[in-house]
Amino acid sequence: MAEETLVADPAKVPRKRRLTKKKASRAKKNPKKPMLEGIGPNIIKVKKIDGKMKKLFRKRAREYNSDEDNDNDSMAVTGDDESSELEEVAMDNGASDDEENDEIIPGITKFVEGCRAFRIAFRSIIKKSVPDDSLGPVLSAHKKLIAEKLAEEEAERKIKGDAKKEKLLVGEKGHVKPDNYLDSHAKFLVGVATKGVVKLFNAVNKAQNAQKGLNPLRSKDAKALRKRRKETFFSELGKASQPAADTPAKGRTSTRQVDEEGPSWAPLRDNYMLTNSKLKDWDKFPEASVADDFRSMSEHGNSDDY
Amino acid sequence: MARFKNKKKVIVKPVAKKKQPTVDHITGSKIPMSFVFSRGKLPGPLRQLQMDLRKLMLPYTALNLKEKKRNNLKDFLNVAGPMGVTHFLIISKTTTAPYLRVARTPQGPTLTFKIHEYSLAVDVIKSQLRPRCPQDLFKNAPLIVLSGFGTGDQHLKLTTIMFQNIFPAIDINTVKLSSCQRIVLLNYNKDTKLIDFRHYSIRLQPVGVSRRIRKFVQNHQVPDLRNLQDVSDFVTKAGYGSESEADDEAATVTLASDLGRVNRASTKSAVKLQEIGPRMTLQLIKIEEGLCSGGVIFSEYGSGDGKKKQDNEEDPEDQEDEDEDREDIVQDEEDHEENIVEDDDEDVD
Repeated sequence: MAEETLVADPAKVPRKRRLTKKKASRAKKNPKKPMLEGIGPNIIKVKKIDGKMKKLFRKRAREYNSDEDNDNDSMAVTGDDESSELEEVAMDNGASDDEENDEIIPGITKFVEGCRAFRIAFRSIIKKSVPDDSLGPVLSAHKKLIAEKLAEEEAERKIKGDAKKEKLLVGEKGHVKPDNYLDSHAKFLVGVATKGVVKLFNAVNKAQNAQKGLNPLRSKDAKALRKRRKETFFSELGKASQPAADTPAKGRTSTRQVDEEGPSWAPLRDNYMLTNSKLKDWDKFPEASVADDFRSMSEHGNSDDY
Repeated sequence: MARFKNKKKVIVKPVAKKKQPTVDHITGSKIPMSFVFSRGKLPGPLRQLQMDLRKLMLPYTALNLKEKKRNNLKDFLNVAGPMGVTHFLIISKTTTAPYLRVARTPQGPTLTFKIHEYSLAVDVIKSQLRPRCPQDLFKNAPLIVLSGFGTGDQHLKLTTIMFQNIFPAIDINTVKLSSCQRIVLLNYNKDTKLIDFRHYSIRLQPVGVSRRIRKFVQNHQVPDLRNLQDVSDFVTKAGYGSESEADDEAATVTLASDLGRVNRASTKSAVKLQEIGPRMTLQLIKIEEGLCSGGVIFSEYGSGDGKKKQDNEEDPEDQEDEDEDREDIVQDEEDHEENIVEDDDEDVD
């Protein structure tokens, strides 16, 4: 193999030299070119290469080499016959040896040999038939341990999931999603509610239509209106001058009884000013509160009139 | 030490002035207000149900009431006094079922319902093809219709009164029909002893007008006349009408005043109800005299050993609650007296 490469090389040597000369002359124009050949001869070292550049060159060189590596590996894996591989190596050399000295060439051959060893080893690994197990060949010594652990985890997860599901079920208890259609019961309920609304609206209509006919500007009607309001007002107070004054639509308003503590507006209560000890010294109150008092009184007066 | 010195003075903020009136300015009756909250930790759907109930109780409720784990009933009671809150709706949950307690503050009584089934507002809306939610739906309190409660039983009568008082009363002489947008239905089934709790929105539409014309007036959109020979066809040709569109004579009303552009007082209108959740199926199991405490007036499982059995059913936290509540009540009576005095002050000022 090494021989072959050696044989292949001499043909290229003159060309190589020419190339270097060309490159050297070109390098002055184009500073990027020498990067690839950075490892090599003095010609390029003449050029100014600061540390950063050097680093970059090294990196690129490494990458270049590693690429080669990979190529070889892949070749090995695909398992071509030897001759083709050798060709490849020769090609590689052809491409890369533009600047490389003769000293490097044995290095490359060595490398190829190493690669071959690696290739064989790799192939043997690949060829090895592994029992088709869910755990895989990794840590096969601890297989039992791993199996146990996995089973345990699985059980744990199952228990957790069950608990969660149960909790959710308890939380959802009594929660029912309604149907998309109206079943008979729902229809019946809607009917009941509709009946109630109709009853109320009719009652409102009856009550408010009676008022509507009366023109508050005419004295006669105004009197009737006032009387009606008075009636409702008293009925609200619970004194009920005429209990039939406001016949409500439904049980709703009728069963509403006046609260046990009487009307909510304090002055209308029977025990107003009698129980409250704070009102004893009313004349000592500041002016503002008195004014407030008057205002609220007048407001209430208005609402009563209305 | 320095920190303690700084901490010595605690400034008590005066209670902010109420924005909402506690008294209806026309009828002069006290407006009932409510808190909806939970005891114990609730699972997700029940928390949503609580939110739905709060929405249902609008506008006289605390929509964004924040509760903490350490809040007990006493805390709510203390806040309820100055705020004028008259009713508590308490949701709790045991391993058997969720429960709803409806209580009047500060002295009771308390009705305990077992929630057999419930659906959230979201579920109801999802089940509908065209859900409806006008802007001002929740701006007014709902009407309440109680049906089937007139069997003469005392506990049912109490339930009726309780639910009537939970929403503000309406005065039929002054009420505006435009403010009647929602209705809460409680239907008692004598045979199963279950109460169906439903929540509907009320919609009115004119009767005797073809669907096309109604839509035209409502939508302000240029109708599609491609298939018609003459404009008169649009008016005369009756569109197809499904069975549900047929106007039920029982569901028509004559309005006292115009309601919007479409529903005139002169024409008849049909009442259409559409469900807006939540819905619940309740069973009344217990009535207590006090606020979550006191003597048991009524128990579904009978008195004596029946009551014991029921107590066992409830989780320990609930019992703890009750113990706390009992303490609450003792203190509360003092509080209540104070409250009365405060009330008088407010009225005078």
